[in-house]
Amino acid sequence: MAIFSMTRPELRKKIALQGIAFIIVGAAFIFLWNTLKKTQAANIQTPSSSRISGTLPSLLSDLNLILPISLLAVLFGVAFAFYLEEWLPTTSKVRSFIESQVAFFVEIPSLLYGLLAITVLFSYADVSKEIGTPPIQNINEAGLAAIPLQHNIAMFYAETLVFIFMVIPVAIKTTQEALRSVATPIRESAYVLGANHWQVLANRVVPLALPRILAGGCRAISRSLAVAALLIGVHIPGTRGIPDRFMLFLGGALLLSTISSFLIEIYVPATARHG
Amino acid sequence: MKTNSQNGSQMTPIIEVTDLRVHYGDKLALKGVSFDVYQNEILGIIGPAQSGKTTLLKVINRTLEFTPDATIEGSVKLDGEDISTISDVYGLRRRIGMVQPLPVGLPLSIYDNVAFAPRTAGIRSKSELDVIVERCLQQAALWEEVKERLNTLGTQLSGGQQQRLTIARALSHQPEILCLDEFSIAVDPVTTMRIEEVLKTLRTEMTILLVTNLVQQAKRLANRTAFFLNGDLIEIDTTDIIFSENPAEQATYDYVNGTFG
Repeated sequence: MAIFSMTRPELRKKIALQGIAFIIVGAAFIFLWNTLKKTQAANIQTPSSSRISGTLPSLLSDLNLILPISLLAVLFGVAFAFYLEEWLPTTSKVRSFIESQVAFFVEIPSLLYGLLAITVLFSYADVSKEIGTPPIQNINEAGLAAIPLQHNIAMFYAETLVFIFMVIPVAIKTTQEALRSVATPIRESAYVLGANHWQVLANRVVPLALPRILAGGCRAISRSLAVAALLIGVHIPGTRGIPDRFMLFLGGALLLSTISSFLIEIYVPATARHG
Repeated sequence: MKTNSQNGSQMTPIIEVTDLRVHYGDKLALKGVSFDVYQNEILGIIGPAQSGKTTLLKVINRTLEFTPDATIEGSVKLDGEDISTISDVYGLRRRIGMVQPLPVGLPLSIYDNVAFAPRTAGIRSKSELDVIVERCLQQAALWEEVKERLNTLGTQLSGGQQQRLTIARALSHQPEILCLDEFSIAVDPVTTMRIEEVLKTLRTEMTILLVTNLVQQAKRLANRTAFFLNGDLIEIDTTDIIFSENPAEQATYDYVNGTFG
């Protein structure tokens, strides 16, 4: 694999440089953690009357749901990008339409997706009727609100939709860019040996594009985790146990973006240099 | 196009190019060229940049199909068969070895690089592949340098070694025709001389199309030389005549003697 072609001193230097950024962000993360813990301790005696912020994101925040959805979305996005880039001709109208849409969705800040998720959930789950009930009774031992089943289903659809629109475009875009980064002469070097399209993909394109594709996948999932964390963040004042999960998600997003930048920094220059 | 003599016309042509025109969009890259290539000769193809030399090679092995806006008119026949009608394009490409100007596409071990084409052709047995790999690396004058480390990456070799690896790779599917596209631009003069020696011996086994921007290289190696300029075939003749004091065209004389181009 071409990605191993970087020499050890080069690799150490890259990791050290990346480490500085990681320490800075990590320190900010720990500071945030401590501050939120204090805030929670101060607020725990006086639960917020806003049940909405407490109820809805609780399901959204469920890692069991968000991780599989994001992973599936990434897999779909990567497969779709292969189809667009490798099978549809550049002149295809379908391709240019999808690419223009993808370009737009990618540029939308993830915060807007988060707000959209909240809005959609609020309107679908229609919890406004229940606002009058005392909040503390509806919160179970795990710190989660007890929600009627039909609301759960509505939320499931809503959040699936939002996360898919957030994750898939990023996966498509980064995979397409990764595939384009493999120059034509490199592909042709396999074609001239009598290889077919699949063999060219397996032996030239994928080995060289893989670090970028993985980095793109990490970025896409990191984006969805960050939004999930944001949604829990709405919920923080006045409920038990939530900040931990908030930090878990934020930490997950941070870790994935670190992996992503490591992959790009360490492997991509190496693959761009050598063919 | 003028031809002073018809040396070699008694031999069978392996490639017959007839009125070949190639457009890239509106731009005409090859303006109706016709010539034959004979079995077991080295045909030198010289000419300045943008004269259609690489396009010609891409037409022959049908890799021009990957350039979206390229259109081809005219015919190219390989052993009497029109290449545009050949259904097994992968088989066609295996009959033609191609060496690109820069060594690219080596994200595999040295062994796997050379074994790639035989594997795509369906050869699976390790012992058969071993024989092919050793033969090709020896033909490319690389075996002695790499035989101890066949499992290291191709990218870890030096530039000259990488180029010889691409030559070994091009030989691995036992092509009838070997096309070399300015193979020496990334190689030092000593290695170039070694590869040129290899080409001289390979000539007995295959036909070689040598695209080069070093006119002296064509003079050293080629039996016949074709001079391309702006998509036109100005002149094709035996190398002795092209490099003599009086080729048929003044442009040929000027280019070969370095007064333009």
